[in-house]
Amino acid sequence: MSSRHAKDRRAGAPAVIKPFQIRGRFLTALAIRLEGTPPDDAFYQALDEQLQQTPQFFSEAPVVLDFAKAPGIATTEKIRDLTKALRERNLLVFGVQNAGPVDQPALQAMGLIPIVAAGRDAPGPNDGARRKRGIEKLLPPDNKIVTAPVRSGQTVLADRGDLTVVGSVASGAELVASGNIHVYGTLRGRAMAGAHGDAKARIFCRKLDAELVAIAGLYQTSETLAPEARGRCAQIFLEDEKLCMEALK
Amino acid sequence: MTEQLKEDPPLGRVVVITSGKGGVGKTTSAAAISAGLAKMGYKTVVIDFDVGLRNLDMTMGCERRVVFDFINVIQGDARLKQALIRDKRLDNLSILPTSQTRDKDALTKEGVDTVLTELKQEFDYIICDSPAGIERGAQLAMYFADEAVVVTNPEVSSVRDSDRVLGLLSSQTRRAETEGSEPVKAQVLLTRHDRTRIENGEMMTVEDVLEILAVPLLGIIPESQAVLRASNIGTPVTLDEPSAASRSYEDAVARLTGQEVEMRIAGERRPGLFHRLFGRSA
Repeated sequence: MSSRHAKDRRAGAPAVIKPFQIRGRFLTALAIRLEGTPPDDAFYQALDEQLQQTPQFFSEAPVVLDFAKAPGIATTEKIRDLTKALRERNLLVFGVQNAGPVDQPALQAMGLIPIVAAGRDAPGPNDGARRKRGIEKLLPPDNKIVTAPVRSGQTVLADRGDLTVVGSVASGAELVASGNIHVYGTLRGRAMAGAHGDAKARIFCRKLDAELVAIAGLYQTSETLAPEARGRCAQIFLEDEKLCMEALK
Repeated sequence: MTEQLKEDPPLGRVVVITSGKGGVGKTTSAAAISAGLAKMGYKTVVIDFDVGLRNLDMTMGCERRVVFDFINVIQGDARLKQALIRDKRLDNLSILPTSQTRDKDALTKEGVDTVLTELKQEFDYIICDSPAGIERGAQLAMYFADEAVVVTNPEVSSVRDSDRVLGLLSSQTRRAETEGSEPVKAQVLLTRHDRTRIENGEMMTVEDVLEILAVPLLGIIPESQAVLRASNIGTPVTLDEPSAASRSYEDAVARLTGQEVEMRIAGERRPGLFHRLFGRSA
């Protein structure tokens, strides 16, 4: 019965085989961005060094020449020389970008296509991270002191610095600090020090009875609190990527 | 009975009775405290904020006299004077019942403010009986408060919820939001205190509770049949026959008005003849 069905379907819809299909395709290309001066011996020497450092990365890589920062040198001659030199180095140059008015037939003769304001540069190495770290370094630390008990359901955040609580921290309350946390009272809630990854941050409290303690993302819950520190005046710190708790005398 | 006549102008203190957790004795305490204040001579009104679950009027024994309610007043359907019910036992005690057919969304901040402002012109103490939870009804009950009585049972979940409410009192009230004003004065009222269960380790001790909550203690009310009985017959405990619970409430009320009263933990004993005669004078 199932075979009959299959036959019917085949009969009802005659198969049409298209000779081709059109699909969008994205590919990643390297852009070599020329900086100001025309390529000279120093340029090729630097390029060779770069290629030697990471040969796999560049071998047979599709390459676009980007003249955004060097509009003056995008002449047909220069492009031809450069393309030849790069192709000798096994770089597959296939396009030019930001070259301004260039002789189109000449480009085609070289097997290059003009690439029009498409694509986007990947961010330079650590651009964003470096900028953010720079800003953070410029801002002064912003330590926070709380002089009232921290109640259940409250969250106290010290985004850039230490957090000191003069009073107790109730179960269900939460302390978060990028630096150290000091509690002059009983810590019954959660405390997260080194919230931005500072492994040197510590937690100090007059009496440790926490639901959760964490430093730089490594945490322990009340069930795994060190028994020698529980209920005592204690400090918590990271050592060899392990959370250590010790009672303070 | 300490009867004292108050001269004008009225104190106009707004006190919220709140807890977070349900079933800890908010309404019972609101009824007992407001009756206790009235008995001391203060003009007192007690408002039910538990819209949709109207209970206070039953505890006060006036459920058959409700015509207009708090929501009618807020929505302008009735005047405040029409909605206030004067207690039959104490004529300086009034009740503002709530609606049983509406829900908490019928309360508006402006409406509550208007009603409280009007009540302040006439009454010494305005007691707001908060619903359980921390949603709209509870938030509006505490928003305009000058003082708070946080009703807590000596067990962990009630204490944690009270702690949460204390946090809200210090952040989500008009006093907290107004620069330079004093914070809401919060005190904890420990109810259903059972000495034997505490001794057996089944309940938290008073010290444990106070250590966690870190606010002054207003009073300790023992677990008592008298409280249940009073609720069922629609009489505030403080107006019923003397019991350990009623004496504890009276002490708490005296402390609320600023008197210094020594804290004592009463056990539940059947008051004998001696107590019936002299127990009240203490």
